[in-house]
This record gives sequence, structure tokens and C-alpha cells, in this order.
Amino acid sequence: MEAADLFQKYPHNPLVWDEMHAADSVRPQYQKVFDFLLDIPADELNKKEELAKRLFMSQGITFTVYSSGEGIEKIFPFDIIPRIITATEWQLIERGITQRLRALNLFLKDVYHQQFILKDGIVPVELVYSCPHFLREMQGVNVPYDIYVHIAGIDLIRDSDGTFYVLEDNLRTPSGVSYMIENREITKRIFPDLIPQNKVLPVTHYPNILYKNLVSFSPRQVAAPNVVLLTPGIYNSAYFEHTTLARLMGIELVEGRDLVVENHSVYMKTTSGLQQVDVIYRRVDDDFLDPLVFNPDSTLGVSGLLSAYRKGNVAIVNAIGNGVADDKAIYVYVPEMIRYYLNEEPILKNVPTLHLSKPDDQKHVLANINKMVIKKTNGSGGYGMLMGHVASDKEIEDYKKEILKDPRQFIAQPVISLSSAPCYINGKMQPRRIDLRPFALCGPSGIEIVPGGLTRVALREGSLVVNSSQGGGSKDTWVLA
Amino acid sequence: MLSRVADSLYWMSRYMERTDGILRMLKVNHHSSQDDPIGFTWQPVLKIFSNLDDEQIAGMEMNGRKVLQYMVVDRDNPNSVLNMVTKSRENARAVQDNITKELWQSLNEFYHVVRHERLEHSLKSDDPLTVLDSLVRQCMFYYGVTDNTMFRGEGLSFMNLGKYLERAIQSADILDVRFSDLSYDLEKSTDTTYWKYLLLSVSGYALYLKRYRSGFEARNVIDQVLFNVDFPRSVLYSLNQLHRHFGRLKDEQNMEGFAKVDFIIGKIRSKIQYSDVHSVNLTGLHNYLKELTTDFNEIGNALNQSYFANS
Repeated sequence: MEAADLFQKYPHNPLVWDEMHAADSVRPQYQKVFDFLLDIPADELNKKEELAKRLFMSQGITFTVYSSGEGIEKIFPFDIIPRIITATEWQLIERGITQRLRALNLFLKDVYHQQFILKDGIVPVELVYSCPHFLREMQGVNVPYDIYVHIAGIDLIRDSDGTFYVLEDNLRTPSGVSYMIENREITKRIFPDLIPQNKVLPVTHYPNILYKNLVSFSPRQVAAPNVVLLTPGIYNSAYFEHTTLARLMGIELVEGRDLVVENHSVYMKTTSGLQQVDVIYRRVDDDFLDPLVFNPDSTLGVSGLLSAYRKGNVAIVNAIGNGVADDKAIYVYVPEMIRYYLNEEPILKNVPTLHLSKPDDQKHVLANINKMVIKKTNGSGGYGMLMGHVASDKEIEDYKKEILKDPRQFIAQPVISLSSAPCYINGKMQPRRIDLRPFALCGPSGIEIVPGGLTRVALREGSLVVNSSQGGGSKDTWVLA
Repeated sequence: MLSRVADSLYWMSRYMERTDGILRMLKVNHHSSQDDPIGFTWQPVLKIFSNLDDEQIAGMEMNGRKVLQYMVVDRDNPNSVLNMVTKSRENARAVQDNITKELWQSLNEFYHVVRHERLEHSLKSDDPLTVLDSLVRQCMFYYGVTDNTMFRGEGLSFMNLGKYLERAIQSADILDVRFSDLSYDLEKSTDTTYWKYLLLSVSGYALYLKRYRSGFEARNVIDQVLFNVDFPRSVLYSLNQLHRHFGRLKDEQNMEGFAKVDFIIGKIRSKIQYSDVHSVNLTGLHNYLKELTTDFNEIGNALNQSYFANS
């Protein structure tokens, strides 16, 4: 097969921003990779794809799907062609996310203390109090350095003119960062020359920054605070990520059953007795953290954890109760928060969003449902969404009933067309829709974002849903110097 | 170290030791089936390593391919190599941050090998020895990686506890089943190939020839498998190693637990150290081995209570 065939018939859709192709040329940031791909025989590329798969499998970068009592190892699909971001684009992203996070942290502090923003009528009170993730248990609790969102994975998408939009703020336990790190490790193996040639900025220091921050949150002033990562256990689909992060930071990976609270302090059960825990980087949802306060059936958490937290004897990362800030109905007000708290104009735009509890919005959405994407305010993972432009009449009717039952639970957005990037699929380059999740770390010395992130790909042709649970994959994400 | 982590390392190691033991047994019994097609049966293997009832065993004992299939890749046999390796890897997966990446990858690769349909196919149609050897090599690789990469510390000590306790149990079991054939009569004369295969299955043949010269005698075989301190699969050697590795866990934070387990290991070790073939014969071999099994379980329980936070 001729190499040039790779890009033959690469379709150009004027309504979609393609990361590699402008109307009739290749964007400069992709030129080197493009030239390289033109020179490479197709079977060479197939070999690289095979190598990538083998590496993921043998290193156990997999998640386990349990069916009929037996675990089957699956790889999170990986496309070998990197997604490239220019230095200028990155600067904007970095500034925009930093600004947004500053405001969101202030919002969380405010909403769990004096509630100025509610009293001033910027964010409607009823919206906050009707949010299931607004936890009254957090009222008046002080957290170290007033930081609530220590780790954020804010999802960005690009409209047809290339403008970046914030699609959602993930402020609870965002996942995927291990894939940012491992995808890069794989790329180093399959395209060893391209990374230095293109001056791609490294991402490997992410765990170091995170560890430095975690240590600084320790309530006890001791030489070596005891930092642990709390995982729901090996059956969790993100378990690989938990072990990777624990290993790279050299901290203990614990499960709820390894911890015990005594006299409002948290201890772990070790072979030489109980040992006090200072900082918990938890990957367990709020609801399961403490059966005495939240879901009483949870076995993933630790009884009494919240009391230890409220006493300030242990730091929990991310803070409890952050869900009120990444609720999709609250999301609408983030630009207002930025103006209110920081007196700045938002750098990154929100996707225009209608909230179905507002009568006018509801009327408009129900009338134009074919042009809308409707989501649950507390949903994630791409579950419970309605894509109006492709849904059947029956699906729409059923969904409408759901909405009318509890309109607070739903928001609607116009169908945004997400940018596309070339992917190597079935021996050809084909455009697929992508998003971007950079990972921002918030510590006492400020907000740091490693240059990169997780680019998720909707691998099905024409699909706009990038979630891994819905057939999405990922790419290595390059930020150029 | 977290108690749960210690527990997982211990079991990861035990399951691998058992895998290695099963593979050796299968290999040697396969040899045996070729040399002595008339007298040979798979019954002793199935008796030690499966939960099959007599009727099921009878249906399988003369069919080598079927036994290999059952012992290596059968998903319903809790003691199949596939299930052992899966359990070992599952334990490793839960403690990845406490073992080296190389060790994790060696187990992960082993796991993918035993689950691949290629293995099941070769067990049906290829030379069984080649297949078993390739699996034994995976075990050897695991041991080598462990030895050369694992950091010297608590974790490795718990792995060694699992390894040597399991090894002692295996060696005692093999003796028990083999001698049950002879109704535990040490004087009963038997074909020398019988002893040869027993020794081969515990990698003790070469040592036996050098040490005992006099030809094959039941009392010498027992001496080697139970008491020979230079033989790395003897029960006494395993207990000595167990004691040595346990000694490294001495720690001021858990003196009470340490003293308790140390006492039990020391007691059992002395008991074996100060027995010989003669005294075993007085007690009766079967009774003696049964007592040992109870003793080994006592060690396991004591570790559970004092170190793994399971009561």
C-alpha cells in the first residue's frame, strides 16, 4: 500500500474544526507528524498499533470487566496518532482554567460559610439547597488553606471556529490522569523520534507536584506526614489508576477496611499496629466515605471519618461536598462567579445552557428538543443523556416524561459539534471527535497544570460522545514548547 | 506495612509456590505414565490436588490428556494452574505499589499465558512436556525476578513466609499420598522407579544419588524429604527458612504478636529437627504427617491473627 493513501479521502467537514487540517492545508503544529506519517509504510503503522496494544496488556494497564463470575481484561482503546496543542492555545487554556478554579474554590468556601453569593442573589438559593451534593455536614468546616478543589479535571471542547468551551467542571474525583502519563510512555516507545523533534513538553512530573501538595495539607506538623490513597478496591474500573498514582508517589494504597477512626483520628492497620494517617487522597465518592453520616450500607468508607475531618485531624482530598460546584445546573453560574469573586471577565466560555426548572427555558427546550443535548445535572460518564438530533421519537417521549417528573435534574445545551482529529482506524486516517481534560492541581503555592491532559476520542464514526463507558478511547496529548 | 498488603503478598507467594508444585507433579507423573503404562495411574495426583470424588477420579485417572486439561486450564477446578495463577495475580494486583514493576509484569504475563486459548489447544494436541516446561519456566522467571528485584524488607519477608510454609505443606502431602499406596509400610518392597519418580517430582533425585548411594529405600526417601537440611524442598529446610525470614519481622511495635508466632514456629521446627526416620516409624508415618499438617495450619492461623488483622 502506498503511504500517501493514508490521508486519501480524509473528509473535510466545514462545520467541524479539525485539529490537523485547515480548509486546504495542514496546520503548522501538525506538519512534522504529517510528514512523518507520509513516509511511513502502512504495515509499519500496524506494527506500532500492535506494539501499543501489547504494552498496555503486558503492563496491566487494563480494567477488568466481570461477566459470569470471570474477569476479562480490557484495554482502554488507544489511538496512536497524538493530539497536538500549540503553545499559544495552551496559554489560553492554562489561564482560563486557573481563573475558573480560583473562582470555584472561593465559591465552595463561600457556600459552606457565609454564603455571600447567595445573599447577593447571584446564584439562586433554591438551586444550591436542592442539589443532592450540597452537604449541610460541611457547613462551617474549615479546610487547609481554604482549598476544596485540590485536583480538577475540567473538560474542554472546541466549536466549529476553534473556540474552546468548558463542557463541564469535574471537581470531585476526576479520573484519567494515569492515562495522560501512560499514553505518553507508550508514545515514547512507538514514536521515539517524534517527541524530541517536536519539542513536546513532559507530563511525568504530575505525581511529584501532587505529592508535594498532599504533604503540605497535613494537619500534623511532622517530618514525614502519612499520606494515603483511598481506593474502592480492585473491582473499581479505575483501579489501575489508583495503583499507578500510589506507586509513582510512593504512598500507601489503602481500602476502607484498612482504616479505623479512634478518638477522632484516623489510623491504618499495619503489621506493627495502628499508624496515624494525616492526608487521604480519596478516590471514593462522598456518599460512600462514612457510613455513619452518608450511605449507611457503604463498606468502602470508614466509620467516623467525617468527625475526624471536621475536627481537622485528617485532610481529605478533594474536599467533601464539592459536588455542589460541579452540578450542571450550578455550572451555568460559573461565569457570574468569576465576575463576582474575581472581578474579571471569564477567559474560557461556557456552553450556552438552559435549565429545565425555569419555565421559559423548559418551554423552549421541549419545543426544540431535536436540536438539544439534554443531560442530568448530577450524571456523569455519559449515562442518562439524550442526544436530540439522533434520538428516536419514542426515546424523546420517554425522556420528556422523565423531565417533567423533576425538571431540577435536567439541563439542555445546543448540540456542539466538538473538534475532530485524525485517528488511525482500519488502516486509514479518519477524523474522529475529541475533547480535552487537562488536570489542574491546587496547592498552597497556587494552581499548577502539567502541559497535557487526557484527550478522549469518540471512536464511533459520527459519534459525539467521548466517554469511555460509551465506546470512547484516548490519545496522547502533546503541548508544544 | 498494611496488614492487608502483608496478607496479599503472603498469598500471592503461596499460590505461586503451589503452582510450581502442581506443575512439577504433573511433569513427573507424565514421565511415569510413559515408562510404566501398565501400573501407572493419575489417582494420587487427583487425590492431593482436586476435590473430585472417587467416581470422578476413576473416570479420569487413566486419561493423561484429560487430567492435564483438568489440572492446568479447567476453570471449575479451584486448584488448576489457571486458577492458582489468577489468584496469585489478583493478590499482586491489589498490592502493585508494594512490589516491583518487573514482578507485577511477570505475574501479569503468566496470567495472560495461562488464559490464552493457545495453551488449552497445545495441551490437547502437542507434547505435554514441552507445554509443562514452558509453564515451569514462567515460575522460574517469577522466582528469578523476585530474587533479583524485590527490595529486601517486610514485604519480601511475608512473601518468603508464604513460599516456605506452602512448600513444607506440599512436600508433606506428596509423601503422604505416595506412601498411602504402600499402606505406610516402610519395609514393603517396591519397584525402584516408584521412588525415582517421587524424588524427581520434588527435584531431589540428583541429591539422593549422591547422598544415599545405597539404592532406593523408603527410609532414605523419607529422610531426604523430611529431614535433609541441604535439600531445598525438605520439610525441615522449609521450616528453617520460615524461621529465618520470620526473625526479620522482629519489631518493637508488635513484640506481643512476634513472640507468639515465633514460639509456634520454633516449637514445630524443633519437633521436626529432633525426629528421625526411626521415631517417625514409631509414631506411624501417616500420623506423623497428619500432625505436621495440623502444625502448619497453626502457623498460618497465628500469622493471620497477629499480622494480617484477620481473626
